[in-house]
Amino acid sequence: MTQPSLVFLHALGASHREWDGVRADLSDIDGIALDLPGFGERKGEGYADVAAMADDLAGEIRRRRLTACILVGHSMGGKIATIVAARAAAGEVGLAGVVGVVLVAASPPCPEPMDEDRREQMIGWVADGAIGRADAETFVDANTATPLPEPLREKAIADVRRSSREAWLGWLERGSLEDWRARVGRVSIPALIVAGAEDGDLGEAAQRAHNLPHYPHAEVRSVEGAAHLIPYEQPQALARLIRAHVAAVASSALPAAFVAILGSDRVSRRTRTAMLERTRPVADAPAGWTAAERAIAAQLVAHILPEVEDMDGLAARVERAVNQGQGDGWRFAELPADAEAWTRGLATLDAVSGGFVALDHDAQANWLERIAEGQGGATDDERHLSPAQMVLWFQDVRAEIVRQWVALPATMAAIGYDGFAVGGDGPRKQGYSRTAATDVETWQQVRETMA
Amino acid sequence: MSRAPYSHQEMVDAVVIGTGAGGAPLTARLAKAGLSVVALEAGRSFAPNDHVADELAADIYWMEERLSGGADPTAFGSNNSGMGVGGSTLHWGAFCPRPDARDLQLKSLTGQGADWPIPHAELIAYVEEVEAFTGVSGPADYPWDARRRYAYPPVPRNASADAMARGCEAMGITATDAPAALVSRDRDQPYWGQRQACVNCGTCHQGCRNAAKTSMDTSYLPFAVAHGAEVRSQARVLSFDLDHEGQITGVVYHQGGEERRQRCRAVFLCAGGVESPRLLLNLGLANSSGQVGRNFMAHVATQVWGRFDDEMRMNRGYPSSLITEDMMRPAEAGCAGGYLIQSLGVLPVNLATQLARGAGMWGTRLQSLLRQYNHMAGIGINGECLPHPDNRLTLSDETDAFGHRKARIDFSYHDNERAIDRHSRQVMTAIWEAAGAKDIFAIDRSAHTIGTCRMGGNGDEAVVDADGRSFDIANLWICDNSIFPSALAANPALTIMALSLRTADRFLALSKARAA
Repeated sequence: MTQPSLVFLHALGASHREWDGVRADLSDIDGIALDLPGFGERKGEGYADVAAMADDLAGEIRRRRLTACILVGHSMGGKIATIVAARAAAGEVGLAGVVGVVLVAASPPCPEPMDEDRREQMIGWVADGAIGRADAETFVDANTATPLPEPLREKAIADVRRSSREAWLGWLERGSLEDWRARVGRVSIPALIVAGAEDGDLGEAAQRAHNLPHYPHAEVRSVEGAAHLIPYEQPQALARLIRAHVAAVASSALPAAFVAILGSDRVSRRTRTAMLERTRPVADAPAGWTAAERAIAAQLVAHILPEVEDMDGLAARVERAVNQGQGDGWRFAELPADAEAWTRGLATLDAVSGGFVALDHDAQANWLERIAEGQGGATDDERHLSPAQMVLWFQDVRAEIVRQWVALPATMAAIGYDGFAVGGDGPRKQGYSRTAATDVETWQQVRETMA
Repeated sequence: MSRAPYSHQEMVDAVVIGTGAGGAPLTARLAKAGLSVVALEAGRSFAPNDHVADELAADIYWMEERLSGGADPTAFGSNNSGMGVGGSTLHWGAFCPRPDARDLQLKSLTGQGADWPIPHAELIAYVEEVEAFTGVSGPADYPWDARRRYAYPPVPRNASADAMARGCEAMGITATDAPAALVSRDRDQPYWGQRQACVNCGTCHQGCRNAAKTSMDTSYLPFAVAHGAEVRSQARVLSFDLDHEGQITGVVYHQGGEERRQRCRAVFLCAGGVESPRLLLNLGLANSSGQVGRNFMAHVATQVWGRFDDEMRMNRGYPSSLITEDMMRPAEAGCAGGYLIQSLGVLPVNLATQLARGAGMWGTRLQSLLRQYNHMAGIGINGECLPHPDNRLTLSDETDAFGHRKARIDFSYHDNERAIDRHSRQVMTAIWEAAGAKDIFAIDRSAHTIGTCRMGGNGDEAVVDADGRSFDIANLWICDNSIFPSALAANPALTIMALSLRTADRFLALSKARAA
């Protein structure tokens, strides 16, 4: 399994150094902490607007060829992380490796809720040039639940003071007010949204109101004993949450060589988007199956494809396809509509076998053999299927399960399939220059076994 | 001549229903002749760049539900009809053998099936015109037709084709590069632009992204539009307005959330072998013969697969790059006609569902074969099916979103189809053994939708006459695979396009005669 790396983005008036404490607790996970233009080591670069900062981050991901990474953005950096995650989810070249997002007291895609007096006050701090020591102290102290211990407080104050005036003003007067909601839309990448329990404008309520709606696969966590500067205030608690998110999304990370091809310009945006969408978790199917039906379906997966480890996950994809999908354009005339056929088929399997899930593997296999031979079924009432119908339904079951499995990018990676990497978006389309057996081109991946 | 777009009140010369291989060439022909033509397409319009190289995400198929019955139910969806401006030519495999002369006289020569009321030479003249207009790649010398020439050299063979060539040679079977309706060199397509040379990407069935493959949206339709025709997409035909004599005066369709109607002098129904008869049955029209929906034929499309030691990676290259016509009249096979064999390159989801359905697999064997996808290759046939009273399209009691009853298609193999299936399994297995394949197995499969509005000599036995005109409604013409009197072994699209040009010429000749 590929271990995703972490890409940290700091807040206004901070730098990569704000993550030192958090990263100390995550030293076993690869990570980089960036300075955004105008801050930290890059103070001299002046103001970059939101779009330019997002380009800067996207460029960094490409330059480093990150094939599995999680964007961790604090406050201002959270808005940048969300924008880049949205671009990744929409299939942009080179960003196929973005597998997770962590927002820490993050500024949302909408204009940031900020008290206008406070905004004016902060703008006033740079009226005469650089931010003075007293103002920097005010900033740090106002954003923490309790005063930071030294030397952390001194470090935070120093970072505020080495922000460029243009960057400081640019964010307060423009960047934080820019409305990116429509551009961001819904981002299918799994997200962890962290709020400080004592934060003001960007606390949990604001996170739920302004960031959560953009992430269909997200959970919100509140950190006690923290206001807005969570990475300074509660580095260990934040590190624990980040570690859990890394573990949660690691299973969706694809082998590096595969992601390198998927992210390349050989792949069209539409194809990349469709494939990446399939790496995301399946949300609960609203009009789906009962828990008992799900359990039987998962057992069916285990028989159709014995090597699949995440039977429940694949069964969930089948459940979604059967109950919400468009269908595949036809069905057996002898069967009712797909959703009903599945419900009745599962019920029949359970009835004839006397409780399918409780049986041992061989007994289950024996029932499936009998069903395939037309020897397993009930009377064709409104809740069950006849033996002849079960033969057809079991064919549908096999086809749908295997279809969902083969279409997973992880499966493509495992079988060494690279046929999606053709016909990119450029004026001349990529294909294969070698088509004979054993003659493989250099760009093609080597076979990788699935973890 | 008035120019598109036409107003609904205007009485246009013709409304064409469907923009695929049946509708597009005749739209171009009629427009070129100066007629006002409106073509209605149920699907949306695509640019080549819109197509997606992913089997689940491709969105160019007719995915509205059809019910499949009989002893050998045939699959629909991505297997058959298309939806979009260009119809099924958006996703077709571009494998384009010409119709065999013997297949057009099947009844005369074998006593079975039906003859075509069209001389082979006449049809071939149209085929050649289609080939010249669209650009076909193929071998310099075609072993079964010494006079045949193709405009472009063949595309590279893929690993499946090399294996088939090897196996055929060992068996003494002649095989060669398949005629493919795609351009192996850049081509400037009149009124459209540059169609780039095929890049061997292998995703013909998901839609060609560089327009190398012949598709109506990059060939006949732009020609038609340049000559004054109008194509209306996402326009779903609901019914016809008829006058007191039973002639069609207008076409009612659904578009943009409302019902619209286009007045017209003639209608060309070109919606394919399922939707054309389905519309007529739903409306209760043009069926005094009782033949609408009957004579449904699907090609026997048995496949034989195997595993090779070499890495084949069969998704690369034009999928069907080798052909043999040696089995067009197999001795002692017990079938009326015969079959073509082609090499196969299929993408993983296609292979997986075929293994699960057509080969009845599951469990360890299924999963291990799929894991060895890169080592697998196959060959398959297109075998001539005979009509049978049991095989027909009828209407289900279930209705679609437009209130029309869904199609139910019953299909079962009979002696002829079983004979082809049996014979071809033996031949293909032997070829695959000779090619060095291991773990060889066969898949049951049928493909294409043919014969449901049969063309014939009289209105008691056929729906349309030899010109493609309805026996019942004088200004209704049908042109798609539904009018085929017999299935032919050749894949249907090339013949449909040729028939389309011919239908336009017959219509124009008749109009001229009437005017004179």
